[in-house]
Amino acid sequence: MNEMVKMVVVLTVLSAASGGVLAGVKKGTASQIEAQQLTFVKGPAIKSILAGSANDPISDRFKIADGELERNFFVGKMNGKASNIAFESYGKGFGGDIGFMVGVNLASGKVIGAAVTTHSETPGMGARAKDDPAFAAQFKGVSIRDKEIKVSKDGGKITAISGATITSRGVCAAVTNAMATYQKLEPQIKEHIKQFDK
Amino acid sequence: MHNTLKLTVSHAPFWHNGSSISSKSRNILLVSLLAVVPGCYQYGMAAVGVVTLSIASAIIWELAINFISRRPISVGDGNAAVIGMIFAMMLPATTPWWAVVTGTFFAVVIGKEIFGGIGANPFNPVALAMTIVMLSWGDLFDFNAALVNYSFDFKGVYPLVMSKSFGASAVESFGMIDLLMGKQIGGLGATFGIGLIIAGVYLMLRGFIRWEISVSFIAGIFITAFFFNLMKPELYASPGFHLLTGYTLIAAFFLAPEDATSPVNFIPMLIYGFLGGLLTVMVRNIGVHVDGVLYAVLMINLVHPLVDKIRPKAIGKGV
Amino acid sequence: MPKTLVQEFTKGLWDEIPPFRLVLGLCPTLGVTTSMENGLGMGLATTFVLVFGNILISMLRNIIPSQVRIACFIIVIATFVTVVELVMQAYTYALFLKLGVFIPLIVVNCIILGRAEAFACKNTIIYSIADGLGMGIGFTLSLGALGAIREVLGSGSLTVWGDLSYSVASVFPSFQPFTFLVRAPGAFICLGLMLCVLNAIGKK
Repeated sequence: MNEMVKMVVVLTVLSAASGGVLAGVKKGTASQIEAQQLTFVKGPAIKSILAGSANDPISDRFKIADGELERNFFVGKMNGKASNIAFESYGKGFGGDIGFMVGVNLASGKVIGAAVTTHSETPGMGARAKDDPAFAAQFKGVSIRDKEIKVSKDGGKITAISGATITSRGVCAAVTNAMATYQKLEPQIKEHIKQFDK
Repeated sequence: MHNTLKLTVSHAPFWHNGSSISSKSRNILLVSLLAVVPGCYQYGMAAVGVVTLSIASAIIWELAINFISRRPISVGDGNAAVIGMIFAMMLPATTPWWAVVTGTFFAVVIGKEIFGGIGANPFNPVALAMTIVMLSWGDLFDFNAALVNYSFDFKGVYPLVMSKSFGASAVESFGMIDLLMGKQIGGLGATFGIGLIIAGVYLMLRGFIRWEISVSFIAGIFITAFFFNLMKPELYASPGFHLLTGYTLIAAFFLAPEDATSPVNFIPMLIYGFLGGLLTVMVRNIGVHVDGVLYAVLMINLVHPLVDKIRPKAIGKGV
Repeated sequence: MPKTLVQEFTKGLWDEIPPFRLVLGLCPTLGVTTSMENGLGMGLATTFVLVFGNILISMLRNIIPSQVRIACFIIVIATFVTVVELVMQAYTYALFLKLGVFIPLIVVNCIILGRAEAFACKNTIIYSIADGLGMGIGFTLSLGALGAIREVLGSGSLTVWGDLSYSVASVFPSFQPFTFLVRAPGAFICLGLMLCVLNAIGKK
């Protein structure tokens, strides 16, 4: 009986201690990990969209709560003024959600650049949405104040990647979502961006 | 104390045709010249260089591993020379020296000696080495690119690549007779069909290779290709085309019937050979690789112990 | 005869060098050694888990009931592995991406459980540290060496750490990488040849 109790006590204490340690480490490294993930996963896309910015868009970011989600907004400064903003939005592709980073000029409301960040599309087919910059470049100049955007097959003006219509639709859906998000959050974004305008 | 006579008997089954390894090697070397000499004539001194380097380096690797592992010198049986020769037959004449030497290293050392020398190898050494070098330096073995500097009196395109990328209709211009006479590009000793067939028939008649395997291998190719051809004649090439292009004939007469890696009973031999032919055509027609022969040979090498379980019932055992 | 501290340390470097003499921990040895940097990173992560796992298990060796010792070892080891994973994610994210699934798999690396079971639960802390450190460094060096060979021959470059990288093509311009070696079967053949060489040296 004594053995039994000892076993239970030792295992319980050990497990509890381990859980405590892990919780501590997780909390301690969470912000650093987030920064790393932003740099390595989304960094390249952000950098290409906000090319020419004077600041580091990854460190100059702010969060806005959108329903249950917390969205990251990355600020790009041009000529000393925080004029551009990039944020991510999602659309359903062939193999799951496609993350699509959209850069918007606040004054004109026009998309200044866009790129796929995360996806699980078929290599060589849907994955060309990320690898072929010409596809994402089509979104340049689209007004973020529009209602939605479609591929040409559905009566829109985006030329789909050949053999990857579903992926192309997914990206269009992501941009449509981005429009909705932007229109909903525009006042808050403009509020937040002032702190970077120095 | 007296010395008892020890009769050591290893596991059945056995295969012996009454001749020694060295005479078998000599014969194979000799008949392979039937295919290599026309190849050398076609590609000139470069091909001669590849063949000699391949044979020489195979023998040197074998000698080296004999010394390192302190085993008796075994180059005398000629097996290393045969490995070098067959390996060279599959190479394009333009293969650089280091690829040849690495290839024979993998054939002799990794393919054969590491497992304990001749007769203990689980895979055909040549097929193994060829697969490894092809996987590593694919562009060297892209025959179209490798042989681009030669001018031929026939179409200088690797037939299998043609049929793979453009369908069977693109290869109709290759006449059967031309293919048989070696009027196609490919490995330096792999294109001259008549020479290979004569060599194979001679080896089969002398009993150095087992006709069951070669014949069933060819039958496997023929039947599978026939059905593919029947389904979509514009997409899949004819059986004769598959038989005379790529490494098919080399595999049928030199690779598949290799002693240590092939079964010895009648039915297993037929299954083994047929499976090889089937896999070859499957890879060529629906796989991504241009030539499936090497993969097919490696696969049937793996299957060999399994099919060898099909054997005649021992008399008196069971009811 | 009880061994000295130095002997406990050095045995991991040669006499019982993990992948080659004990032939333990082959999963990461074969899986991550496509480059030297990966091998060293994996080795360091394993060393960390090995040393701290040994310390804790050696400390608790009189408390842990023998019936549940394996469960306790696993808890301790898994804790340290998760710590390593989080720390790597936070500070060496690029390496973490490359090593991927192999980091969590350190938990089931047989060297670590093996040393805990065979050594740390029977010896004092100091000796356990020496043992863990020796084994870990031996493991790191083995993985680094294997990774270096495969990387130099297989992809024609040698990445020491981060951006510090050399290319073979700059020394021998006609060198064409032997890509077979960075593929999975190349790992087996390379490991086998290294085992072969080490056995030949050790036999004398």
